[in-house]
Amino acid sequence: MTTHTLELKNLTKKIKSKTIVDDLSFSVREGEIFGLLGPNGAGKTTTIRMIVGLISITDGDVFINGTNVRENYEKAMEQVGAIVENPQLYDFMSGYKNLMQYARIMPGVTKERIDEVIKLVDLEYAIHDKVKTYSLGMRQRLGVAQALLHKPNVLILDEPTNGLDPQGIYDLRNYLRLLANNGTSVIVSSHMLAEMQMMCDRVAIIQHGKLVRIDEITNQEDEADVKVHFQIEGDVHQAKKVLSDMNPELDVSESGNELIVQVSDLKSIAELNKQLVLAGVLVVGIQRKTKTLEERFLEMTKKGGDLNEVAVPVNE
Amino acid sequence: MKWLSLLTNEWIKIFSRVRTWIFIALPILIIIGVAVYDKVATDADVNENWKQELIQTTEDDKKALAEAKKNEDDAFYIEMLESNIKQNEYAIENDISPYEKTTWKFMKEMAPISSLIGLFVIVVASDIVSSEFSKGTIKMLLIRPYSRWKILLSKFLATLGFAFVMWLVVIATTWLVGGLAYGFGGIDQTYLVVNGTEEVRERTVVEYVFANIGVEFIELTALVALSFMISTLFMSNSVAIGVAMFTMFAGNTIVMLLATKDWIIYTLFANMDLSTLIDGQNQLIKDLTLPFSISMLAIYTAVMLAITFTVFQKRDVKA
Ligand SMILES: Nc1ncnc2c1ncn2[C@@H]1O[C@H](COP(=O)(O)OP(=O)(O)O)[C@@H](O)[C@H]1O
Ligand SMILES: [Mg+2]
Repeated sequence: MTTHTLELKNLTKKIKSKTIVDDLSFSVREGEIFGLLGPNGAGKTTTIRMIVGLISITDGDVFINGTNVRENYEKAMEQVGAIVENPQLYDFMSGYKNLMQYARIMPGVTKERIDEVIKLVDLEYAIHDKVKTYSLGMRQRLGVAQALLHKPNVLILDEPTNGLDPQGIYDLRNYLRLLANNGTSVIVSSHMLAEMQMMCDRVAIIQHGKLVRIDEITNQEDEADVKVHFQIEGDVHQAKKVLSDMNPELDVSESGNELIVQVSDLKSIAELNKQLVLAGVLVVGIQRKTKTLEERFLEMTKKGGDLNEVAVPVNE
Repeated sequence: MKWLSLLTNEWIKIFSRVRTWIFIALPILIIIGVAVYDKVATDADVNENWKQELIQTTEDDKKALAEAKKNEDDAFYIEMLESNIKQNEYAIENDISPYEKTTWKFMKEMAPISSLIGLFVIVVASDIVSSEFSKGTIKMLLIRPYSRWKILLSKFLATLGFAFVMWLVVIATTWLVGGLAYGFGGIDQTYLVVNGTEEVRERTVVEYVFANIGVEFIELTALVALSFMISTLFMSNSVAIGVAMFTMFAGNTIVMLLATKDWIIYTLFANMDLSTLIDGQNQLIKDLTLPFSISMLAIYTAVMLAITFTVFQKRDVKA
């Protein structure tokens, strides 16, 4: 039996007759990383604000570890750590004193735990500096640190990669995975699908406050949707003809100087490459790309919103 | 109790800011400055010849009074002259020098410094809620396992604690500085109170000083409640500072302008300056007495706190 740590039931938020979150329901399992994916303005932050009680719920319910947030807020929030939008911290205090503020009021946070968390987010070198000297990335990491202090089993991070450098994003992904493996449910929101794809076990796609669908991110190697990109030096059209003639069933398309072919297994890729080379086509590069989530996302949201990073990672 | 940690947090936040220390240092420097200046500048002869001087002043006042009556001047002015004359004659007769200085006298004279304390307390109280909204830190605070009223209460109590501590520090400093400058004696020293047509009364200075300490606690509580309410309603510290300062300083002027209106005594303005009522009722508005004003402030404080907590509990936090 799967345990659900966070459950949303028909959650709705209306502000002045405008529906911002519309009948949203989903459940997050213990130990999974769950993504909220949607373009800017989709209602992700509004949903998170309702979950943590910053704004009132117009309709529906939120259960955290089985406790209804509307009925017993204090109990429900005991096991929650969160960042809502940018982590805003006390500028006039050091990072450490900021953490102390939260350590003091949360149950069971020892001094050792504080040091452990600081080490985890890699802020030891600056923890005694005033927060006003911090970069956005450092604030983000301090924000994560305060959310983790009391070992919450529900961790909610709203656009946590904002302001992080690539190394920071990589580290974040790794320790979120570590937390999830230890049973924490992690909820992350983002408008960047590539990020969600790399980070999450499941992703809820949200648009105009409505749940569009929930996708499992399975082992991408097995996906039928893997595509292979052959980079061609020379006449791409000619190259396409070569493949189409020899493999009538094959789905081949052109894009710039690339041929995009729908195959996934390594043998077929090698075979196609051989055919091209034998026909005298210059193949300068081969890449396998998984586009499932991106395609679904763009299909669903019809290119709505502002997608900063639609490129999808390459699986080497 | 974990809940007390909320209070510790607020206290730490207040004292982590440089301005807090300036607020505490400034009154102390002023007190020392006044004492030093007084020591250096005061003419020592005055102490010896105070009777002569007082007789002269009384004669001058009497002339002025005759003049004023002939010209049918302002009644308030005439009354003031009459009470001055009465007071000075009593002092001459009973040998009570108005110039004899002790630390208690110094404390009585320094009592207006409470306005400065009030001002600083307004700044801190107006900021403690609204700055968390403007900086967005309120989000990080509210998502803890504490009901909102507990968080607001911790802020209120922390501000009140800060106000009281600051006031006590100032009192202690005044006593100490005054004692070093003028000696710690004079516990039975008296001063003269004249209330309109009543007889002249003697009252100990110590009595006044302690009454003033007491009423300032009450005033500060009302001031904190007012700043709190405005800053929670408007989420702006500047609006809160403005309104509270206006109530505190412009209040007296407004009361004077509207002294003839019956309802004026029920406004917050009219009841914000309790120290003027220690020696009896307000000279302009006879219905204003200490017990009345304290009751009015208690009612206002309760209502303002009720509004603040209700609004805060329901507010959508979009910071
Ligand atoms: N207080 C508000 N009043 C009116 N509209 C709001 C308010 N807050 C957010 N919205 C609207 O709700 C929508 C969702 O906002 P938000 O939850 O911040 O989106 P996301 O986090 O997915 O980018 C936006 O269109 C925004 O304009
Ligand atoms: Mg958002």
